[in-house]
Amino acid sequence: MAHAHAHAVKRYSGIMDWLTTVDHKKIGILYLIAGGFFFLVGGLEAILIRIQLWKPQGTFVSADTYNELLTMHGTTMIFLAAMPLIFALMNAVIPLQIGARDVAFPFLNSLGFWTFLFGGLLLNVSWIVGDVPDAGWTSYAPLAGTTYSGDHGVDYYVLGLQIAGIGTLVGGINFLVTIINMRAPGMTFMRMPMFTWTVFITSALILFAFPALTVGLAALMFDRLFDANFFDPSAGGNAVLWEHIFWIFGHPEVYILILPAFGIISEVISTFSRKRLFGYSSMVFATILIGFLGFMVWAHHMFTAGLGPVANALFSIATMLIAVPTGIKIFNWLFTMWGGSIKFTTANLFAVGFIPTFVMGGVTGVMLAAAPADFQYHDSYFVVAHFHYVIVGGLVLGLFSGLHYWWPKMFGRILNETLGKWTFWMFYIGFHLTFFVQHFLGLMGMPRRIWQYLDGLGFNEMNMISTVGALMMGIGTVMFLMNIVITSVKPKGVANDPWEDGRTLEWTIASPPPEYNFAQTPLVRGYDAYWKEKQDGHSGMTPAEPVGPIHMPSPSILPFFMGMGLFIAGFGFMYSPDWGQFLGTSLTMGHFIGIVGLAITLICMLLRSVIDDHGFHIEEEEILKDLGGKA
Amino acid sequence: MASNQPATEQNTKRHKVEGPKKHIVAFIFSILLTFIAFATVISGEINKDFIYIILLGTAVLQVFVQMAFWMHMKDRGHKYALIGILSGVFVVFTCVIMAEYWVWW
Amino acid sequence: MSAHTHVEGQLPHEPEKATLEGRNKVLGFWLFLGGETVLFGTLFAAFLALRHQVLDGPTANHLFDLKLVAYATAILLTSSLTSVFAIQAMHQQKVKSLINWLIVTVLLGLGFLGLEIYEFVHYVHEGHGFTTSAFSSSFYTLVGFHGAHVLFGILWITLLIIQLMRKGLTVVTAPKVYVAGMYWHFIDVVWVFIFTVVYLMGKVV
Repeated sequence: MAHAHAHAVKRYSGIMDWLTTVDHKKIGILYLIAGGFFFLVGGLEAILIRIQLWKPQGTFVSADTYNELLTMHGTTMIFLAAMPLIFALMNAVIPLQIGARDVAFPFLNSLGFWTFLFGGLLLNVSWIVGDVPDAGWTSYAPLAGTTYSGDHGVDYYVLGLQIAGIGTLVGGINFLVTIINMRAPGMTFMRMPMFTWTVFITSALILFAFPALTVGLAALMFDRLFDANFFDPSAGGNAVLWEHIFWIFGHPEVYILILPAFGIISEVISTFSRKRLFGYSSMVFATILIGFLGFMVWAHHMFTAGLGPVANALFSIATMLIAVPTGIKIFNWLFTMWGGSIKFTTANLFAVGFIPTFVMGGVTGVMLAAAPADFQYHDSYFVVAHFHYVIVGGLVLGLFSGLHYWWPKMFGRILNETLGKWTFWMFYIGFHLTFFVQHFLGLMGMPRRIWQYLDGLGFNEMNMISTVGALMMGIGTVMFLMNIVITSVKPKGVANDPWEDGRTLEWTIASPPPEYNFAQTPLVRGYDAYWKEKQDGHSGMTPAEPVGPIHMPSPSILPFFMGMGLFIAGFGFMYSPDWGQFLGTSLTMGHFIGIVGLAITLICMLLRSVIDDHGFHIEEEEILKDLGGKA
Repeated sequence: MASNQPATEQNTKRHKVEGPKKHIVAFIFSILLTFIAFATVISGEINKDFIYIILLGTAVLQVFVQMAFWMHMKDRGHKYALIGILSGVFVVFTCVIMAEYWVWW
Repeated sequence: MSAHTHVEGQLPHEPEKATLEGRNKVLGFWLFLGGETVLFGTLFAAFLALRHQVLDGPTANHLFDLKLVAYATAILLTSSLTSVFAIQAMHQQKVKSLINWLIVTVLLGLGFLGLEIYEFVHYVHEGHGFTTSAFSSSFYTLVGFHGAHVLFGILWITLLIIQLMRKGLTVVTAPKVYVAGMYWHFIDVVWVFIFTVVYLMGKVV
């Protein structure tokens, strides 16, 4: 780092480029592909569940398979689909929105992706092996202990999530530091776009919630693999302790998921209403408050566990309090649209559709927050309806909105609007058909997580409606995939600001942006930086620096091998009791494989520490050529 | 971002090199606090709640000393460090309340 | 972007913060320590919840040997001081003294680890195995996680000593040393709570 000369560096192409990239834009696309793949897997599992339930006493799948499907559907959707898709948009957009050339830790960014992917693959290898997790996505003890879950199913859950969790934690820290340290000159905290703000708070929640999951999973792993007694009541352990630890992580996790959706909706509605976001400061305040309160409500998942009236009352009130900042946000979106010149693009349809759907999920949330009433709703389809309204009706609609909105920035092509609108209506109507009736199924007494229900209970029609809705959501998703295919064969070349009403910095640069994002770091003069320049009659941003060579980090294959090492280690330790001795030692073959896996990861860490990354420079001529070509 | 980097020479002149004295004082202080904690338990003749208060008090004081002096948290530019650690402590606080009151009944 | 303008041999007073990469590293590590706080807090919570569940095994009061804990504490506190001296030496650009203080720190860390292993072996002989009771599982997990952190710290600082010997003190190596120092102090802070909550409170009947 001592010289300003360019260093010779290997630049890969083809598949090696994708395996070694540390460019946040490419990592965003990797997250999109991997998260999208797991979204399809989880969606397929959901459709199989709905086919099983479409008529009373269905026999489409066995009871065991049903348990596996519902466990893997929940786990996959939360950890392997929703979070990576959020990370996809974070990677694609955040550095651009704050006027940065990259994230703070490009290497760790890549490491985060590969550990997530290998963790997710480990979890899904269970389908191939045939020992699938079947204790629910919450894996409550003692059901998840060896007494009741004797096969390796829950081991896959524990180790897969542990490895994927490392990736998420690394990503969270990376984006916190990126947003704190890498903002362009003039981009003060109170000038940051709303999506950046929500990602900032989400990253903080990841940082403080995921270590609790790490401990919970480690304890469950020790119980299962090494005969520890954390959650085994017969040896002095306590099953409620697992519930507490899981939800101390799990409730913040819900806000980790929804806050970025709030950010996306804020950007999209503001852009397509051609108005400044109403109540920006109150939005920021509400986001922080939701993040804070999110850590104080975990026991509302455990009202019926018997914590006692004092705890139940406290958590009841704390939960209802969250409705206040959330309500602030809802009204702000409505007031942003009020009097705006609204364009109903696909992105905006998803955003506007989000608002009433999320309000419904919020209202049932407040209903569930009332502890005495919760004793009636608990473990019924009412709860299933509630959380799908907030996660699908909230997060997934938000993701679709964000993907349609930022697709041209990520890929240089606008998704087909007509097909996009069909996607919206198919998915939206399908969603409400699926889950609206489930409120009533729950109130009528249909318990969640059941394999079959009897005829003559009045459940038949609504279950059939629900299944039809699920199939429509599936068709909607397929339409979106078709749209991607149709669009990707069209030529590239949309404008910097394809929606023509872009307000934030990402719309000031090429679509897709060059490797270095900003030829010159922009000077930010206000909130909605680009919009402000437009209002002042400028065609672009004022640069904060002259054109000069730009320093870039080198690509690296190490993160890929680190993730792979953890995958091998998890696999080995999981089977340590089953496979034979290793060469006459007291270690088993599984231990040996596990140690080899860990060694791969540690050696990669060592190499990373020892070999200095000098990076390389993109020269001035190249940047000027890029600038000239675009003008 | 280049402007954040004052010239090297100025930099060394402006900073007074800090001596080891402050840190030795902090070390003696933390040994003292540790001694108080151990002595309280070993003597053992005091009321149990009082011992707990002394133990937690000395632990918190010691952590404060170490973080402020040895981890430089008292110095400027540690705003986010402080927010980070305090947020973590807040979550730990809820965990401990959970463990003490809401696991067994 | 980053400060590339340093002349060889002329380091600023705080070389760990001389480059944007260095500042990112220090901030990122502080935040990581915030997450580690939650990690150990959850382990403490599990231990607190399960500490009375001893079944047929020995109780905390019966088991713990305070003399051993006092030695371990003294060693770890001293190693924290020596790591402070190392950072001070770094700020004065005394590379040799920096390396020496780091070596002392590593040796003290090894001493601590040796005591802990001795202690664990001793406890197992007393009938306090990992699988004996919920108390024993949570005890070994909490104290073992800390021990694993010490071990990782020893390996890490050793690696840094080698790098300092080969590459010298630069704006690349300085942030690594600084961050490792922070890590070492953090381990010490966690130990303060372990000896207070696990050992001393375990002795209070």
